[in-house]
Amino acid sequence: MNPQLRVLIALQDILLLLRDARDPDQRKVLGKMGLKIDNLETLEATKADLEDQLSTSILGEYRRAVQRHGRIVAPVIGSVCYQCFVRIPSAIDCAEDRNTSLYRCENCGMYLYWVDK
Amino acid sequence: MKLSEIITPERINLNLKSANRDGVLEELVKLLHLDTHARETVLRTLCAREELGSTGIGKGVAIPHCRSLVVSEVTVAVGRSKKGVSFKSIDKRKAFLFFLIVAPPVGAPPGDYLIALGTVAQAARLLAMDKRIKKIRDVRQFMKLVEELGQ
Repeated sequence: MNPQLRVLIALQDILLLLRDARDPDQRKVLGKMGLKIDNLETLEATKADLEDQLSTSILGEYRRAVQRHGRIVAPVIGSVCYQCFVRIPSAIDCAEDRNTSLYRCENCGMYLYWVDK
Repeated sequence: MKLSEIITPERINLNLKSANRDGVLEELVKLLHLDTHARETVLRTLCAREELGSTGIGKGVAIPHCRSLVVSEVTVAVGRSKKGVSFKSIDKRKAFLFFLIVAPPVGAPPGDYLIALGTVAQAARLLAMDKRIKKIRDVRQFMKLVEELGQ
């Protein structure tokens, strides 16, 4: 996998975890199941470590995209970008270097990650 | 939603070997049959989740969980450790029954993830209280027990 894509995916998972951890409704539901959430600062530190691993240009794009859409990588499932739900051109969808090169959705600009089914 | 609807025999390991939390997480993630990079990503997110607070809910049960881009549907793996593993559970007891839940960020509403978590939490408590859980020897017996408990 492309090293920058790997970092972006890890970052996006951490962002999602942070969002879930800050959601009072979700915390309440999880608390009832015995699942406590504390130490949000450790997650912020992990996020900062990952951001340090991004190149300057991708870091800038990441910050803009996260501010605007809350994410920067969209999964591709069944040839469809799951950010904008537009079909990926087959030339890209069938490329041998998908996930090893960085590809972006021509419609929404998200970096693309092809999920194995 | 029932537990029997979201678990599959190939994602069950009734003989976890690891003696620590990280090892157990690694064994559970292996059951998801992801590629190496996806596996590393999920592991990293699970470890980050554990840092927020243990997912050991007591009574010998732990439910490590996260949402990750690398899966396309809610996926559950089950593990049993005969000796038990220290998981910093709320009751400070060792956990011996593990349910790993990994859900996608999109494609499935967040509600599905929470419903799966609730289903697993309820079923896990029932299973942990049943003395047969420590004696069952194979996956078929485990699935039968899950069905007998109405889960």
